[in-house]
Amino acid sequence: MRISLERLERIGRAAEDGALVALLGAMVVLAVLQIVLRQFFDSGIGWADEFIKIIVLWLAMVGSIAAARDNRHIRIDVLSHILPDKLVALTRILVDLFAAGVCMMIAWQAWRYLQLEIEWQETVLIDTPAWIAHLIVPLAFLLIGYRFIVAGARTLFEMFRGDPINDTP
Amino acid sequence: MIIFSAILVLLAILGAPLFTVIAASAMLGFSNIETDLMTMALELLSIAQLPFLAAIPLFTFAGYMLSESDAPKRLVRLTNALLGWMPGGLALVCLSACAFFTAFTGASGVTIIALGAILYPALKQDGYSDKFNLGLVTSSGSLGLLFAPSLPLILYGVVAGVQIDDLFLAGILPGFVMLVMLSGWSIWVNRGNRKPLSSFSLREVAGALRETIWELPLPVVVLGGIYSGYFAVSEAAAVTALYVFFVEVIIHREIKFGELPRVMRESMVLVGGILIILGVSLASTNYMIEAEVPQRLFQLVAEMVSSQTSFLILLLLFLLVLGAILDIFSAIVLVVPLILPIAAGFGVNEVHLGIVFLAAMQLGYLTPPVGLNLFIASYRFEKSIMHVYSATFPFLVILALSVVLITFWPDLSLLFLSG
Repeated sequence: MRISLERLERIGRAAEDGALVALLGAMVVLAVLQIVLRQFFDSGIGWADEFIKIIVLWLAMVGSIAAARDNRHIRIDVLSHILPDKLVALTRILVDLFAAGVCMMIAWQAWRYLQLEIEWQETVLIDTPAWIAHLIVPLAFLLIGYRFIVAGARTLFEMFRGDPINDTP
Repeated sequence: MIIFSAILVLLAILGAPLFTVIAASAMLGFSNIETDLMTMALELLSIAQLPFLAAIPLFTFAGYMLSESDAPKRLVRLTNALLGWMPGGLALVCLSACAFFTAFTGASGVTIIALGAILYPALKQDGYSDKFNLGLVTSSGSLGLLFAPSLPLILYGVVAGVQIDDLFLAGILPGFVMLVMLSGWSIWVNRGNRKPLSSFSLREVAGALRETIWELPLPVVVLGGIYSGYFAVSEAAAVTALYVFFVEVIIHREIKFGELPRVMRESMVLVGGILIILGVSLASTNYMIEAEVPQRLFQLVAEMVSSQTSFLILLLLFLLVLGAILDIFSAIVLVVPLILPIAAGFGVNEVHLGIVFLAAMQLGYLTPPVGLNLFIASYRFEKSIMHVYSATFPFLVILALSVVLITFWPDLSLLFLSG
């Protein structure tokens, strides 16, 4: 069980890294290409600007998934410096569960919206179905929510075991 | 409703990720005015509608590549060759190198980690007191926030709908005011530290220049490209990212190809964390506009203050408190849409407001009890947080004075802007 979970973690991390490399690389290439085309050939790719904006959305979402895995989402971090460890762990479990609930809710709402887009046959980039470009939103919030559940469960586990689990290879 | 809001505030203080708290408050608001919660999806998708947003991941990536390379070391050598001969010279080196570097890395704490590691021991060796060093390095970590192409400047432009190139110009003089005031104070404090002045060496300057020959054109690439009209802000960001990639990965080879995914991940974790807050804040802002919160806030403020001056005083006090609890990025996306119409009501220029906002939030990095840089420095240099508080305090006072100056002297920000 644990072995396969660890493997899942590795695959997930590699997928995030791969996606970030591809997105960031595509964005740089496309933006620079646009400049070159405009300055030297007086032309440009019509859909490039819209595509770059969709890449920004994807970078934001995949970056957020990665931030959730690395536990790097921005929080007000006052109490962990003041409260005793046990109480910090308790509040951590509480806020992580809350965060997971909110993320799942957003994922659900985004999923509903996606179905509307399919129904209305909305498009981006001339003729691509919009839901393909927007699929990342419900997916990201689902994964981020899952990450918070895992984080909460881990804190709970640590509380009872009394020693931290080594989660970095 | 009030009970729910109180619970949300409590959750935020207990350490719930800020984006979830903001999202929850937006959803609560929407359901209160019977708007379908699907709106959340629409608001999040508008991340893909905002202009210039591409500049944020691109500049951040460029900044992280710079911080992973040996560029910080080269930068310190160059500034040392140029300024090191003066009394208090190394302190000036620290301030200017950090300001330059922060402009590119966006004041996310990277500066203290990348440059502090070089400067802190060097300052110690040069006979500066330990307490001064700690305070200096900690406060330098957010200096340069007002210089292009810093991330908070771009984010303010996106959120407030202000021309980003105007903000870049507006930040120059206020940024220098901060730099000069801190430098003056550093020289004055160390006037007794009369070690034999190292001589100014043209050969050292030439050597340092040769070493930094590839990094030095960076400000020209960024600003020159934008102001000559060759490219827009987000295009300048792409060119910068590509340029830094060529310099650090292909020419200097200080970042190996295999390390790139890690650097990209590091930078995009920060970007993702900021943009998701931006996304949910767009939702909460829209709810608040629908609920006419800005108008009511304006009436409330108008009852308290009547002149622009008293409004600015109130604003500064508010930002000081805000900066102590919220990080600069969340503060921009959450608060700017609310205070923008109020400030306009009191005749405050929106570009000037941006500079004041960022300058005041910069203080927040250093304000006890929760200033981000204080924790980073405490962790990085292994000093107790109380020790960092007291070491940083004089610098905080000087910076606060500069913020007051910047706030009440709008021409500092607006001088370079036409019309």
